[in-house]
Amino acid sequence: MSIAGWQDALREVTGVAGVRGALIISAEDGLVIAETAMDDLATADVAALSAALVSRARRCTAALHATPPESVHLVGERGAVLAVAGPAPLWLVAVARDDAELGRLRLVLRDAAGALH
Amino acid sequence: MRVLEPWVADPLTEFLRESGARLALVMTSSGQVIAQDGFTRSLDVMSAAALGAGILATTQELATILDAPRGFGAIVHQGERQGVWLAGFDTPRGRWIGLVVFGHESSVGLVRLFFARFAQQVAAAAPVVTPVREVLAEGFERELDDSLRALFGTR
Repeated sequence: MSIAGWQDALREVTGVAGVRGALIISAEDGLVIAETAMDDLATADVAALSAALVSRARRCTAALHATPPESVHLVGERGAVLAVAGPAPLWLVAVARDDAELGRLRLVLRDAAGALH
Repeated sequence: MRVLEPWVADPLTEFLRESGARLALVMTSSGQVIAQDGFTRSLDVMSAAALGAGILATTQELATILDAPRGFGAIVHQGERQGVWLAGFDTPRGRWIGLVVFGHESSVGLVRLFFARFAQQVAAAAPVVTPVREVLAEGFERELDDSLRALFGTR
């Protein structure tokens, strides 16, 4: 997929109500590949920490002899971080407010991550 | 961990814990070691410090040629099993350099994130340098007498 295609996928994710930003990250090095986010969102920090989260989830499933995770959802009091695996090593990450439509966001993320191939 | 400046220890400990880095070396821009963690031989520390300072000095010159006087933020060497992060940062004691070795348990992004915090914490923790007291010619002889008296107990 082209960079323009990635931007389309990101726009689709940020189109969901309550989403503060969407990023395509490299889970191996924790860096941002492409992003569409509000100005106050520290996307580089989100990428680094999301990649660490994905890495730990992978190690956890490996220790359990389970299949590697396809998605990681971290829901807090004031918001949520949802990450869905794309073509390795890419992951599509969304940062949402607590009032976001998380169900719809999951579906959109899954479709958009699939379109990254 | 070995530190020359004790106030660097806490920020460095936090950086290592948060980033998951394997080795860390903090030095002045001339290669003098300020703190290190993970190195087992002093020879390795000295070599790494000298090479790290040399690499940053080289890239600074390259930046000047490329008309980027502020230089590059950081240099990353990514290997198969581990990577090296090398970056300069400003402190009240001058420009220092951090050399960090990280493996698969960490990432460039994590090191970048927590290194920036480490640099801020070091800058904030640096004690204020007290200016060297000027020795006045008129008080010098009396102070010398006082010091000799204190040392040798003579009148």
